[in-house]
Amino acid sequence: MAKGESPLKQFEIQPIIDINLFGLDISFTNSALWMTVTTAFILIFFTAPFLKSKKTNSVSDLYPSRMQVAAELGFSFINSLLNDTVGKEGKKYFSLVFTLFMFILFGNLFGMIPYSFTFTSHIIVTLALAMGVFIFVTVLGFVKHGVKFFSFFVIPGLPIYMLPLLIPIEIISYLSRPISLSVRLFANMLAGHTLLKVFAGFVSALGVFGILPLVFIIALTGLEILIAFLQAYVFAILTCLYINDALHLH
Amino acid sequence: MPQLEQVEFFISQLFWLGVFFVILFSVLTYITLPKIRAFLNQRDDFVKSHISKQDELIKKAESIIENYEAKLKEAKNQASEIINDAKDKALQESETLIKATEEKIQQEIRQTEERVTKEKDLAISELNVQLKDSATNFISKVTKIEKGNITI
Repeated sequence: MAKGESPLKQFEIQPIIDINLFGLDISFTNSALWMTVTTAFILIFFTAPFLKSKKTNSVSDLYPSRMQVAAELGFSFINSLLNDTVGKEGKKYFSLVFTLFMFILFGNLFGMIPYSFTFTSHIIVTLALAMGVFIFVTVLGFVKHGVKFFSFFVIPGLPIYMLPLLIPIEIISYLSRPISLSVRLFANMLAGHTLLKVFAGFVSALGVFGILPLVFIIALTGLEILIAFLQAYVFAILTCLYINDALHLH
Repeated sequence: MPQLEQVEFFISQLFWLGVFFVILFSVLTYITLPKIRAFLNQRDDFVKSHISKQDELIKKAESIIENYEAKLKEAKNQASEIINDAKDKALQESETLIKATEEKIQQEIRQTEERVTKEKDLAISELNVQLKDSATNFISKVTKIEKGNITI
């Protein structure tokens, strides 16, 4: 980090190829580049091990390759996540949750590579993902239950005189879902990367004693990798819970 | 903060996010996930078929054991029957033998009794004759005395 450079500089978007479509600036930026890397990696990681289809004739044909085991792990992880939160009906939404989880997870993880770019550290990206989930879940609720979906805001078993107070609270909490969902991911990524950068600045500033912040950075990098996974997990599990709410109301 | 300041790149970010998310979602949904699912199902089927085969073999083994036990029971029953028969036979034979011996003994007792009574009768009759003889002898002697002088 050059002297006087803001620790927030790492979040700056730099256009790589300027593209203008119907007067809209849709330049291919470093953000888009890392989305490309993430998408390509996920597709290769999960598709390549299964391209060679072999017949299972004997037990030895059943042994999966290492890459298959790794891909299977991701598959069964999301499978059990959906099963635990939504149940059997959740199978329909498997690919949505899987895509969300993997996209955010590998976006976060690739962001940990030095000089890379974390597209999930941008509120516009996380908000778009969260709004997508929110709209999908709301539409799903209306398709499944029609007008009865509004009963979601009425907590059963409450005295009637409490309803005028609680229905607005329920509605506000429902509407704030995409905001909390997106800000949680964005803020975690932003804070982690900023903290890393700030302490990295201390390394050169402290001279010989720079070893201390360096050790701290190493530990923090480990924590950040954990958070990268955790935030993707939180995003995915909340999506599952919202789907469950839309399907079963209460 | 570039996240809120670089508003000019919002549309670009949204555009590319949409593009890559849709690409990722479609390829995963229509190519990758079905492939993984098929692979897992294939393995599950293989394992399940082996488990069902195993179940069949276990059932077979159980039926064989049952058969064996039934046969063993039958054999045991037969053996005990044979033993009982033999016991009954032996008992009957010994009883008949005892009865026959008892009858024989009874018969001999009867025969002996008959012989004894016969001999008794004979002896009595002989004695009678002898008594008669001696009586007549005596009487003749007495009468001789009355008739004449005693010649004794």
